Amino acid sequence: MDEESGDFTEDDYNIPSIKYEYLDHTADVQLHAWGNSMKEAFEQCGMAMFGYMTDLAYVEIKEVHTIEANADDMMGLLYHFLDELLYLFSVEPYLICKKVVITEFNTEEFKIVCKCYGEEFQIGKHPQGTEVKAITYSAMQIVDEPKDNKYEVFVIIDI
Amino acid sequence: MVVRQYNEELKYLEKINPYCWRIKKGFQPNMNVEGVFYVNNTLEKLMLDELRNSCRPGMTGGFLPGVKQIANVAALPGIVGRSVGLPDVHSGYGFAIGNMAAFDMSDPKSIVSPGGVGFDINCGVRLLRTNLHEKDVQPIKEQLAQSLFDHIPVGVGSKGIIPMNARDMEEALEMGMDWSLREGYAWAEDKEHCEEYGRMLNADPSKVSLRAKKRGLPQLGTLGAGNHYAEIQVVDEIYDKYAAGKMGLERVGQVCVMIHSGSRGFGHQVATDALVQMEKAMKRDNIETNDRQLACARINSVEGQDYLKSMAAAANFAWVNRSSMTFLTRQAFAKQFKMAPDDLDMHVIYDVSHNVAKIEEHVVDGKVKTLLVHRKGSTRAFPPHHPLIPVDYQLTGQPVLIGGTMGTCSYVLTGTHQGMTETFGSTCHGAGRALSRAKSRRNIDYKDVLVKLESMGISIRVASPKLVMEESPESYKNVTDVVNTCHAAGISKKTVKLRPIAVIKG
Repeated sequence: MDEESGDFTEDDYNIPSIKYEYLDHTADVQLHAWGNSMKEAFEQCGMAMFGYMTDLAYVEIKEVHTIEANADDMMGLLYHFLDELLYLFSVEPYLICKKVVITEFNTEEFKIVCKCYGEEFQIGKHPQGTEVKAITYSAMQIVDEPKDNKYEVFVIIDI
Repeated sequence: MVVRQYNEELKYLEKINPYCWRIKKGFQPNMNVEGVFYVNNTLEKLMLDELRNSCRPGMTGGFLPGVKQIANVAALPGIVGRSVGLPDVHSGYGFAIGNMAAFDMSDPKSIVSPGGVGFDINCGVRLLRTNLHEKDVQPIKEQLAQSLFDHIPVGVGSKGIIPMNARDMEEALEMGMDWSLREGYAWAEDKEHCEEYGRMLNADPSKVSLRAKKRGLPQLGTLGAGNHYAEIQVVDEIYDKYAAGKMGLERVGQVCVMIHSGSRGFGHQVATDALVQMEKAMKRDNIETNDRQLACARINSVEGQDYLKSMAAAANFAWVNRSSMTFLTRQAFAKQFKMAPDDLDMHVIYDVSHNVAKIEEHVVDGKVKTLLVHRKGSTRAFPPHHPLIPVDYQLTGQPVLIGGTMGTCSYVLTGTHQGMTETFGSTCHGAGRALSRAKSRRNIDYKDVLVKLESMGISIRVASPKLVMEESPESYKNVTDVVNTCHAAGISKKTVKLRPIAVIKG
């Protein structure tokens, strides 16, 4: 994980349209994200998670950090990807991300490298939403149907 | 999961008495023992509705109903007795929340499962008493609530204010409340009134990942968010004068403080790390379960032992956490009343854990056995004369603290001999959710909730307005129902009812 210094390009400040929603679950919440590719669905899922912790409208892009996730299968990859994002928030740099861009999405070796754009979480500036305690495998679904251009993920987060 | 028609499913369930149902073997594959769950008429309806909904065809992204989860747990290797669902049971990850399961330590096949403990290791409740009466507090209630809110860090992104570095953390993980005592944050008698005396001796910080420690350090001494809270409460009703007296609760209107919190990000990381390790171990040791979230390992395996040692460290973290907040609470009250906390008699009545695994001795089929008892969303409730409960509670039984939901009441119960036999000394932990959070937010307006609380005379300080709706009492099962069921079923006995007058939430 490292912080890149230097200027951001205009493109970095572009926020993608929202392709996620929060679904009913008795004790916690299920993130449902989609996209035009599996990569995009994963990215949207990451943003869905941060969107539950605060109101992303209040988050500015001031820093970018790179994270890496590895696993043995796709579900594990989604799990570890979200876990790495959560970790970024929980410890230094306490980063709340407005957007995430996956730069490497390897579905053969199950590896993700991702750039995370946001700033340090500040009570007072950022509304306190709901804390995410952990990512879970419960009812996790990865829908990968290229024929129908259907790429969706469902994951329950413990709150 | 086996999916049958609802009527077929019902053939495996049998109502044994007005408060208890049994789940016969075959309800789920490979059950080693039967399941059982305690409910009254209202709660029974919720359980069966949950089952009925899951039998409908075309359920995607759905989750297993509580009864199925209880049955899946009954299929785990080494389980003895029965897989027990307490009255607040609702579906969770692998294990239902409100599920107790005990495993025979002498059986080499027995397993330990982090899912049977929960992510929030040693989430629990602590109750402090004071010698104040409601009328002493009413004139300054708002200031007191504000003071508490200012002293105790709450909510997303909050950080602890008690200074700690990495070395302090290592010591705290190993020593639990002994660390708090050494540093001056706890009173010696606090330990007496805490399960395990606030320290699990088999804790081994070296078995905890650096990742977990990094997540834990900034959060030590914080309340957390979600259903965690600190409440100023008053005694509303006394059911058992003798037992209440032993706890220092003498009169209606007496002011208490209840703290509900756990091990924060630390415990969650420990659980997550263990699940990853155990998934690999399961392949190696040929352990099969009905549900991926029931990841487990043989108790005697390296993974099993490592988990128990790191779980103990997380338990210690939570006790240090509750001790830190006890300290901050005592400070807040002392400042407002300009008296020492000692003079306010702010003693710990008891501290219970409702997400933990303990090694305990129980009678199984007439023989004393050493069991690893998993309690997830379930509180230990030892009976009178049990050697592990404090001297002053020997005649009453262990105090059991049941936190209600925001704006509703909380209860103190005591453990019973019947509970010891039927549920290995376990009872409910709270209300259990009824409405999903999303549904709550859609159907309930937060202003309505606040107005209602105000009309009940409850001051509220909350970090997240969204939470107000999600945590409103309408979103939960009725805690009175849950507690009355435990009492009627004989697994714990009502002592005192507490009513909140101020609520601090994340």
